[in-house]
Amino acid sequence: MNLDREIRTFGGVAVLVAMFGATYPAQAVPSYARQTGQECVACHVSFPELTPYGRYFKLTGYTIGKTFVSSEGFNYVPLAVMAQASVTHTQNNNATNPDTGETVSVNQRNNSAVFSAASVFFATKLSDNIGAFVQWTYNNLATTADGTLGGHSGLDNTDIRAAGKYSSAGAGEPDLIYGMTLNNNPTVQDPWNSTPAFGFPYTASPLAQTPAAATQIDGTLAQQVAGVGGYLWWQKMIYGELSFYRTANGAFSVLRAGQDIHTDGGVAAVQNWNNPYWRFALSHDWGAHSAMIGTYGMVVNRYPSNFDTSTATDRYRDIAVDAQYQYITDPQTFTAQATYINEKQSYNASYQSVVDTGGGIGAGPTPANPTDTLKTFKVKGTYYYERKYGGTVGFFSTTGSADAGLYGVNSDGTSRTPNSRGYIFELDYLPIQNIRLMLQYTGYNKFDGASTNYDGNGRNARDNNTLFFNIWAAF
Amino acid sequence: MKYVNSAIFALLVGTTTLLSGQTIPPDIQKAAEEKAVNLCSTCHGPRGISTSPEFPILAAQRMGYLAAQIDAFRKQTRAEKDAHDFMWGIAGRLDENIISGIAAYYAAQPPAPGRTDDPTLVAKGKELYDKGVLDRGIPACASCHGVNGEGIADFPRLAGQHAKYVAKQLTFIQTLTRAAPVMHGIVKDLTPNEIQAVAAYAQSK
Repeated sequence: MNLDREIRTFGGVAVLVAMFGATYPAQAVPSYARQTGQECVACHVSFPELTPYGRYFKLTGYTIGKTFVSSEGFNYVPLAVMAQASVTHTQNNNATNPDTGETVSVNQRNNSAVFSAASVFFATKLSDNIGAFVQWTYNNLATTADGTLGGHSGLDNTDIRAAGKYSSAGAGEPDLIYGMTLNNNPTVQDPWNSTPAFGFPYTASPLAQTPAAATQIDGTLAQQVAGVGGYLWWQKMIYGELSFYRTANGAFSVLRAGQDIHTDGGVAAVQNWNNPYWRFALSHDWGAHSAMIGTYGMVVNRYPSNFDTSTATDRYRDIAVDAQYQYITDPQTFTAQATYINEKQSYNASYQSVVDTGGGIGAGPTPANPTDTLKTFKVKGTYYYERKYGGTVGFFSTTGSADAGLYGVNSDGTSRTPNSRGYIFELDYLPIQNIRLMLQYTGYNKFDGASTNYDGNGRNARDNNTLFFNIWAAF
Repeated sequence: MKYVNSAIFALLVGTTTLLSGQTIPPDIQKAAEEKAVNLCSTCHGPRGISTSPEFPILAAQRMGYLAAQIDAFRKQTRAEKDAHDFMWGIAGRLDENIISGIAAYYAAQPPAPGRTDDPTLVAKGKELYDKGVLDRGIPACASCHGVNGEGIADFPRLAGQHAKYVAKQLTFIQTLTRAAPVMHGIVKDLTPNEIQAVAAYAQSK
């Protein structure tokens, strides 16, 4: 453990935080708050979950308020900083290395206070129609090549938008919001928190074991692809978006800055722009209530190896439905989100390779089936009192085809599944709007295909149960 | 379009305004209305009729009152938490002309219809609103806010306003969270139940 480096880094962030705090003592909040002059609660139920006004702010291109430089001069610092420090307790920290038979630690910093990560945001209005959300993150607990933990930084979620409004004569509010987005993570552009990029859990232990399988749209392509798309929001009721993604290389390579492009399997490589993403949602606000029901999805034509784009591609078709409900009052708020993602995996390239050669293409998948399915369901409900004291209960489940090539075999010779299931309890306390203290417990009933002995070496799903205490500050 | 500053009103609501009688140029009025349509409507609803009780209805509000309140947000002299969190930033970027234009726009909008949730509470509120409580020195609300809650001169319209918002403001004034010295003297002895009743009545009109 490189404590000196951690302390130095944390010290650096503390200085940065202090600097911003000292510069803007009356508005010690992130850059959008400096831009609008409004407090976090205007846009967030609790960060990052958006209120109806926050959704309007996002879909109008982050353009409410003033630019950081104008004819009046320099108006505010368009940067914000965020840092997290935490302690993670893994229920059973001892696992067996399948190669050596040695007992190893699952969590290399079990029960230790660690500085987890820090981000710098360039988040600001650039003109009356253009705004940016750009996040650069330093991860202090990244896994290095030799398996130890070390510092690593790279571009995180990024969404740059251009937007406009149309109001017919005599309209009381805009009839149509329209815009374009350039981003590096499918769903990061979405304003509802039922979709993956800004979905619950909003942060989780960086040290805990997590299930291996995830659909493509559920973070698998994050910070590896570049997407361009357009959207329409009619009378704040009907929302539609169509975007197309490509590998974030060439002119778009900045969108995956910091990713491991030198290792086969380090990043995703997909066909050029031939990866459509769509979104359709119906939303309605009445009284203190706001509801949305929608669908989103994506077709990903992905090269099995990012080192070889001359091969055929595997096709992943993700179709998802989602819903959100919010009841926002002073002093109580209740919000709920749910999503179900159904992915059909057609291993047109990889399966053929396995049939022909006995192995996959490069570091790509080695499926035993020509097609598989992977389904994920997530739901959570959150209550906050005075936007200060909060509690969340969540449930998640992933199920899918048994496939010995992807997930291995059980001791009885049957093919394993990607099935995982569990729950999350979270308590939050925000002494001020910019700081969140959270205690999060994640429990597993099933992990990577089984409740017991999921790794073949006696490790059970519940051994990965995690208690996570986190301090999350943003300035 | 002209409006007149009211010293009595300023005293009552605890704010002063530098917005003096003036004519709003058409281009300023247009810019103000664009602001109302594209920004204010997000919380206050189309044409000033909000659905969330957390945000006040502005439709048909008295122009002078509304202009004075926006000015108070701008000058940060109205400082309850919601004002601080939501309105200071918005109002801080408005100049006097735009404020006047926004106030004129909302003053000209059709009012929100009355809504009754609890007839018994509304009846109790009407009694208080119409007659006050003389033996406790509480005057009738109607004397300043109009017999139907429509407001008089720069005294604000209460009719159709969200009951929760009215009750919240009365409580803020009562606890001096919102500075309004004369109004404080009038409402300081209202019980929580009376506040709920008079707020329910205001919403019902």
